[in-house]
Amino acid sequence: MELLILPLILGLVMLILPSGWCKLVGGLGSLASLAIAIFHLMSFDPLTQVVLNSSIDKMAFGLTLNFGYDSLGLVMIMLTNAIIPLILLSNWNRELAGNKLFTALVFFMQLGLLGVFTAQDGIMFYIFWEFTLLPIFLILYWFGAKENNKVLFKFFIYTLVGSLAMLLSFIALGINAQSFAYQDLVNVQLSQKMACWVMSGFLLAFAIKIPLFPFHTWQPATYTSSPMAGTMLLSALMLKMALYGMMKWMLPLTSEGIEVMKWPVIILGAIGIVYGAVIAIKQNDIKTLFAFASISHLGLIAAGIMVFNTSAWSGAIIQIINHSLISIGLFLAADILEKRTGTRKLDELGGIAKIAPRFGFWFAAIVFAALSIPFSAGFIGEFILIKELFSFHVLIGILAVSSLILGAVYMLRSYQLSMFGPTKLTSFQDLTWNETAVFVVLSISILIIGLFSTYIIDYTAPAIRVLTAITPFNQLIIE
Amino acid sequence: MDALIVIFITGLIGLFTGLLKKPTLNLIITLCGLAVAFALQLNYGFYKSPFANYQVLEFNVPQLYFSLLAILFTAVIVVGGFGYFKRDASHTGDYYGLLLFSLCGAICLIGFTDLFMFFLGLEILSIPIYVMVGIKKQDVLSAEASIKYFFTGAFATAILLFGIALLYGATGSFNLIEIRSLIQSGEYHTSYLLIGMLFMLGAFLFKVGAVPFHFWGPDVYQGAPEIVTAFMATVVKLAALFAFYSLFNITFQELGYFWIGALYFAIALSLFLGYLGALKQTKFKRLLAYSSISNTGYALFALLSTSHSSLASLLIFLVGYGFSTIALLTISMAISNEDDEIAAFKGIGYKHPFIGFIMLISLLSLAGIPPLTGFFGKFSLLMNAYNNHLWLVILALISSAIGAFLYLRLIVLSLTKDESDKTIALNFWQYFVLSICAIGILGGGFILAI
Repeated sequence: MELLILPLILGLVMLILPSGWCKLVGGLGSLASLAIAIFHLMSFDPLTQVVLNSSIDKMAFGLTLNFGYDSLGLVMIMLTNAIIPLILLSNWNRELAGNKLFTALVFFMQLGLLGVFTAQDGIMFYIFWEFTLLPIFLILYWFGAKENNKVLFKFFIYTLVGSLAMLLSFIALGINAQSFAYQDLVNVQLSQKMACWVMSGFLLAFAIKIPLFPFHTWQPATYTSSPMAGTMLLSALMLKMALYGMMKWMLPLTSEGIEVMKWPVIILGAIGIVYGAVIAIKQNDIKTLFAFASISHLGLIAAGIMVFNTSAWSGAIIQIINHSLISIGLFLAADILEKRTGTRKLDELGGIAKIAPRFGFWFAAIVFAALSIPFSAGFIGEFILIKELFSFHVLIGILAVSSLILGAVYMLRSYQLSMFGPTKLTSFQDLTWNETAVFVVLSISILIIGLFSTYIIDYTAPAIRVLTAITPFNQLIIE
Repeated sequence: MDALIVIFITGLIGLFTGLLKKPTLNLIITLCGLAVAFALQLNYGFYKSPFANYQVLEFNVPQLYFSLLAILFTAVIVVGGFGYFKRDASHTGDYYGLLLFSLCGAICLIGFTDLFMFFLGLEILSIPIYVMVGIKKQDVLSAEASIKYFFTGAFATAILLFGIALLYGATGSFNLIEIRSLIQSGEYHTSYLLIGMLFMLGAFLFKVGAVPFHFWGPDVYQGAPEIVTAFMATVVKLAALFAFYSLFNITFQELGYFWIGALYFAIALSLFLGYLGALKQTKFKRLLAYSSISNTGYALFALLSTSHSSLASLLIFLVGYGFSTIALLTISMAISNEDDEIAAFKGIGYKHPFIGFIMLISLLSLAGIPPLTGFFGKFSLLMNAYNNHLWLVILALISSAIGAFLYLRLIVLSLTKDESDKTIALNFWQYFVLSICAIGILGGGFILAI
């Protein structure tokens, strides 16, 4: 439970701490949570499932306080606890870093995310899922662009509507199971029609959060109007909640409906891949460009998850990790450009690589990682996903492949227009130590994951085999 | 019964000590009386009561919980309104006395086993409220509210009496258990009984403030002092809802085929008209009144399910709703919002983080965001209704998205950066009340769910 309690305590401590201290204490605290996650990783056997807290007694309406994780959950926990220090680090030399309210909200966000990734009870999952909405809303509201109320309302109501649909699905399952414990919900037998309805409820919540193609309208405006750390939290962690939710909750719970529902979702995902990329090519605002790029990338992952086999899911997990790391890098680069030149417009930027070579180099490294060149994590992830989509259906596969080509177009275009060409700038401060550190950590982890991705694949395989119902649950040893 | 007597005597004492114009003394007496009543009610059945044979009032577990909650709400309201009472020292005694008399009515309404006691309770509950709504004699709105409430209320009471008379004509009894067994046996005159029941349904929907009998709500809430508004929104609603439940869902359960359809429409309309009406309001108490219409719609879900957990759900819901409403009205009092403008809330959360926090959690709880009590209440109410009334549950979820938008606007308003130099100060009692509300809002769901 220390996984969950530490962020809570850190968040509360931040609120009472004097302002000068919260930067340091926050940084150390986030490293401590990373250390705890590593400790969990070291003592974890992929063939087992860890129970953090279990309650035998049900509460009044079938709610149980079950927490635990399997290897998939642990990978997400690890990702969360590794990304939070990176976000704080990239924020280090910005004015927000010293703001105790902001740091506290980041830790509350971490609490919500870890709760989502460890919940083993439908309602607990829902509670934490909704809980994450509050800190991110307040971060965007207090520290985001001015006059962004309209955008935020859209974001909040949009995601809330999705969540309410998910709640209805949970109620439908829970009524049948007489309990909300994860395993009881999985064991519920539904008719195919019912399963499709229940899955649609889940899907609405997840599709809005991911976001899948027709539900994405909240995303670009929200990204651009939020502060850097808010965008990072949203794209690197919060969207991953939805992908995790699809793998851990939606598909195992309603596997009866998968044959019907996989087509619409995969088609929407494929449309999203092309749509996001095409829109991204035309963008002039670099943050909006990255937002649409994110729609394109996540469409691929969502489509891959819906293929519903072990190999596609392995690719999806690698790509989830990869996308988190890349989006941190890209939004950091976008923020550096915005902060130091005062604009995000591509046609007003240019020539920066000459003035700031270090920034030029590391930005290029992240851009290449986003292009999924060989040896980067994205290469493995996208390759597996595209392969699986090809074997699902050739046309879908072709659409998915286009993401590689179109991705190269918009990524290289954004890099070229911002970093090369004639410049109007006379001075541009090169990377500070903390920004360099973030870029170095990101690039090295992307490289390592790219080279040793088999470890992650093997590590998560037992959990995936259970979730895709290849091995029955009881073959995992519960620790 | 003992608690009832204690509360009544405390109210009488309060009325007379009001002549001394010492609000603090009055507060202490009232709180002591409420504490004794609370303790008596808590230990109900564990001691030998001189009124053990009084058959007309019966307190079982649900009745006890609801009456304890009513006493608790009253205590919190009394404490929270202390600053207001002090300013209006000439009326302090009246407020204390009338609030406690009204609470007596609420407890009668919770524990009744007999239609006679039920009617008595309803009148004891309502008449002090008629007076208190109009207590600001110089205020036009207050007078309007009082007149409106009195006339419509009297009309509803007349219809209720007519209903009771028809019911008596059909069954020949006032006793609920007898009526129920007569209904079950099928020996009743159908049309008399059904029409009588329909009249009672209308009167009840009026008392809880559900569509289509909701028109008095906004005007009365706006005209009444905050204290009275808080009392009406919590204790009166709680008692009326409980009576509604025990009369319809227990006594008239067999006739559900007849009244559930009517209730269904009342709920569906309440869910939407309340929130949609609230969207356009500029006055805070009016907004709260409209939102209370929708919340009544949620609370009425308890009547749709015959499972015994629906009362527990109703209780959790009322805890969340009541504490949120009290907290919001206390804040409205604290910023001395005489004009009742929503705009007066601008930036108060930013200026005073404690108020901001309370605003945040109470509004989010009303919106049904977990892990606050409001979520657990709504969730369990909807879960109970899921099996038989799926479409109504879906409607409720849609309306709660509208509600979330409404409450979110208020949250955003109160948290905006405000550079003006107005100051907000809470007195000790208000801190105390808001802290209790915060505990209720944050922990209520968890405590009651276990």
